[in-house]
Amino acid sequence: MVSSILKTQKLCKSFSNGGVQQHVIKNLDLDIREGDFTVIMGASGSGKSTLLYALSGMDRPGMGKVIFDGKEIQDFSNDELAVFRRGNCGFVFQSIYLLENQTVLDNVLTAALIVQKNSQELVAKAKELLKRVGLNEDDFVKYPNQLSGGEAQRVGIVRAIINDPRILFADEPTGQLNSSSGKDVLDIFTDIHNKGQSIVMVTHDLKTALRGTRILYLKDGGIVGDHAMRPYSEDDEKERRNDLTAFLEEMGW
Amino acid sequence: MKIIRLSLFNLRKNKREALAIVFLTMITTMMLSIYAANNSKIEKVFRESFEATGSVNNMLLFDKERYHNEYRRILENEYDVERLTENNMIFAIAADALEKDGSDISYNLTFVTERTERRLESFNKDESLTDEEIRELLHPVWLPVYFSIVKGYMPGDTFTVVKSGKEYPFTVAGFYETGLMTSDGYGFKLIVSEEDYDLLSLLYTSPTEKEYVCLAFDAPEDFSSEEYIGRCAESSGEDVSSGVETYSYSLEKSGETVFIEMFLFLIIFLALVTLISAGFMIRNKISNDIEDQMQRIGVLEALGYRSKEISAAYLFEYVITGGIGAVLGGMLAAALTPAVNYAIEKIMGRRTCGNAQILNIVFSALLVIVFVTVFALIKAASIKKYPPVAALRQGIGTHHFGRNILPLEKSRGDINLRLGLKGLGGELKSAIGMAVCITTAGIAILLAVVSFAFFKDGTKGLESMLGTDVEVEMVKLIAGVDPYSFRDEAAALPEVRKAVVTYEMEHISKKGSDGYGSVIIFDDFSDSENIYIAEGRFPEHDNEVVLGLRRMNNENISVGDTVTLVSKGIEKNYIVTGYCSSMINGGTSFYLTSEGYRRLDVNARPDLVNIYLNDGVDESAFEEKLASLYGGTAKDAVASKWSESSLEDRILMKAKEKIAVMLTRYGVTSVDWAVRIGDEMITGNSRGLVINEIKSWRGMIKSQIEPIAITMRNFTVLAAVLIMLIVAVILWIIASTNVRRQRRSLGIMKSMGYTSKDLMKQIALRFMPVTVVSVLIASVLSVYINKIFWMISFATVAETNVPLIIITDIVLIAFCYMVTYIGAGRVKKIPVTELMTE
Repeated sequence: MVSSILKTQKLCKSFSNGGVQQHVIKNLDLDIREGDFTVIMGASGSGKSTLLYALSGMDRPGMGKVIFDGKEIQDFSNDELAVFRRGNCGFVFQSIYLLENQTVLDNVLTAALIVQKNSQELVAKAKELLKRVGLNEDDFVKYPNQLSGGEAQRVGIVRAIINDPRILFADEPTGQLNSSSGKDVLDIFTDIHNKGQSIVMVTHDLKTALRGTRILYLKDGGIVGDHAMRPYSEDDEKERRNDLTAFLEEMGW
Repeated sequence: MKIIRLSLFNLRKNKREALAIVFLTMITTMMLSIYAANNSKIEKVFRESFEATGSVNNMLLFDKERYHNEYRRILENEYDVERLTENNMIFAIAADALEKDGSDISYNLTFVTERTERRLESFNKDESLTDEEIRELLHPVWLPVYFSIVKGYMPGDTFTVVKSGKEYPFTVAGFYETGLMTSDGYGFKLIVSEEDYDLLSLLYTSPTEKEYVCLAFDAPEDFSSEEYIGRCAESSGEDVSSGVETYSYSLEKSGETVFIEMFLFLIIFLALVTLISAGFMIRNKISNDIEDQMQRIGVLEALGYRSKEISAAYLFEYVITGGIGAVLGGMLAAALTPAVNYAIEKIMGRRTCGNAQILNIVFSALLVIVFVTVFALIKAASIKKYPPVAALRQGIGTHHFGRNILPLEKSRGDINLRLGLKGLGGELKSAIGMAVCITTAGIAILLAVVSFAFFKDGTKGLESMLGTDVEVEMVKLIAGVDPYSFRDEAAALPEVRKAVVTYEMEHISKKGSDGYGSVIIFDDFSDSENIYIAEGRFPEHDNEVVLGLRRMNNENISVGDTVTLVSKGIEKNYIVTGYCSSMINGGTSFYLTSEGYRRLDVNARPDLVNIYLNDGVDESAFEEKLASLYGGTAKDAVASKWSESSLEDRILMKAKEKIAVMLTRYGVTSVDWAVRIGDEMITGNSRGLVINEIKSWRGMIKSQIEPIAITMRNFTVLAAVLIMLIVAVILWIIASTNVRRQRRSLGIMKSMGYTSKDLMKQIALRFMPVTVVSVLIASVLSVYINKIFWMISFATVAETNVPLIIITDIVLIAFCYMVTYIGAGRVKKIPVTELMTE
């Protein structure tokens, strides 16, 4: 049986908007399993990103529990959450968010060196990962503004996985990329998932969601659908698409 | 209108930064105003004081025994002088007296009669007793109004002069305004009765305390007393300069205002430090604001706003903050006017006018506003570098194509340190501004700390620079007494650590230079304990001399040069073997061996024994013991006039008085006397009298050095606190704006797992190289500035207190780190959720 890595119990999150409380997540119970490629879908404003940030320790829930590998993290201070994130979470953003004043290699090492100390091994690992996602030696010394969107997002992924996180979180990772670059990035996600990486990804893009092995549908602050899929393979993409479309139509997407 | 709204928006958004600029401009304006208002006021106070008192502007005091009537005729006939009068007055250097609370003090005192005073000036009375009350007084004295303002004396109080341990109390009849002779440095003119004047002329009869002939007159500004004295010497063929005391408007003014001017200089220096800091901060803040609001600028430009109009928004922001600061600073300066007036009155000892010098304050405020505006304008104009597209794309400036500074791949150590130092590369312009700021502030702080350390033990520091032994009892012996026998007897007393034979301070001059200097004589300078050679060595042979530092510098003399010294017409050549710090006589002293001095004065014989007491010995008690052991002092005898006693006692006292006069004034070495009253014969002799008088430096140190030490100590603390506050404000703002500007990057770093403390550490470390380098530069510069300051102000060589400077550097660097770290605390408020796209 596949073990659970991340759980929520009665998770709530609300925002105050002009004095009016808006409940984005309501009493949400969720169980993320190790090795899964979990995709969270839902309409715009359904709270997908809010949930992702709460799960990853980037934000604290209003109420309820977030249990990561047996540890309740909802009451951690900001600094405790930061330390927790270092070793356990990797994060890929829609807006990529590379550090503008640092080279490609330094962007990756900045994330790595806060956790690991052995510089030489780390540098070798960072270069190896960057090569794996299709970047070459010349790109390592480039600054983010010298990269294309797809290249930058690949750097973002390497930065997120350099510390071998327990879970890789991704928030619309292809949202700002053209279809070709988006496909390249998704292939990387599939590749690293196939190597055993647990991934939780938020998207409203069908093509992106096809890469998942578990699709959660978020509506009115709760999970209303939980659909399992086989691991991704280009050969059965049509069949997967039909399967997912049927699930999403059922969810009212 | 939109533009003004943008300014107001910026002000509201960054209230703390705006307040910091208000604070800096306020402090700058306040200090500039105080400087501008009081710099001119001092001259005015002084000028008006002379006009009100009708005082002559020059007085020359000639040694009565060396004065020739020809000197007056030269002045009358060859110089353009007016209101010339010839008068007698008693002048005593370092005359002992008692403070109001009964403690010992010394002043340079001049005693005149009322008749003389009215010839010098109009004798403007201030507070006084009634005429009836004054008539009742046995020993009335009129004191300069200084004693009322500074020392707190009241009419009817007792003012006591002390001679060889004997007290001579006067009753203060009142105070009077005077032009000359009312300063710590140049002394005070006391008006006494004719009878008391005669008695005092018997008391004060040594080379440094005696009756002088005073030529008082008004002379044009270009009158040179040195040139006139030279003319007198030429006429008489005698050495005149060593027997003349000079008083003039300009000397008196510099004597009274030297410390005010020094403080004003320090205030203007602090104002400049603050102004530079404010300018740097404005530059830094505008730079950050522009970067922070680049997209808004792009939108405004896209909407058709010209870059000039957008620049005006930033400009307007600083005109508002600078204006508020300047107005507040001006108001503060005006409000402080009474306190400043009080301080000036206390230092000068003259009545000052009370207006706030509004024009000067307004001018200072305008100057600050103009400075802030120009500085803001220069930086805000950089907006024109960003066309709409560039601005919307966050400006080319935020894009990096340059060399990768300190790549993480190659650097080692803590990641926060590596990232902090790496970040410095992107802050070069800020770093330069910050370096200027910290260097200037660092110099000011280091100077303040070094000065505080010097003055913290009261007068000890300054005493070490006097250039003569001060912690001694100076026993002047009656002519003919063997000083070496007395030295041996004194050295055997249990209170005495050692006794050294020397000479009473005489004055000699150097051929080819103006003015004279005191000569300090030892058989062997290794006996001295408070004379420190700055370069070279002490004189060892009779043809060697050491000079005071100021004389060396002023007259461009080097160690190894030969100088010709002159005393009473005798000229001899000496080789300069070194120089030393010497505050006495303004650093113009000469240091000779006994043999060396006797080349100038073959008849000179040592007449002074310096007695060095063991720690903890009460000096006054020792003086009394010494006087009683040796039958009292000759000068005590004159005190009989001041007290009632029996007929026999009065005869004995009168006899002693006469002997004293013969011994001290006429060089008599032995006296026997007898008086017959009816059948009774009263006899006596001078053999019991050994000591002429006992003197010490304690009183002079208290009257002249202690006020300087206390004022400097307090001022340095105030200055250091103020500058530290300014530095703290600036660094806090720099760190704070840095966080604001890099909000996104810091958020990204937080998402990677960097804690707020990690990021605060990185920001603080980012500025450490600049801080360390700036502090080191400040240390080196402060050493030189300190030396120049001490050279100019006190004619002394300032020792470099290396351990203190190192400790201060460490504290300063730690302080900068701490403030930047705390200032970067704003990073805690950056939520990672800002990175959410939804």
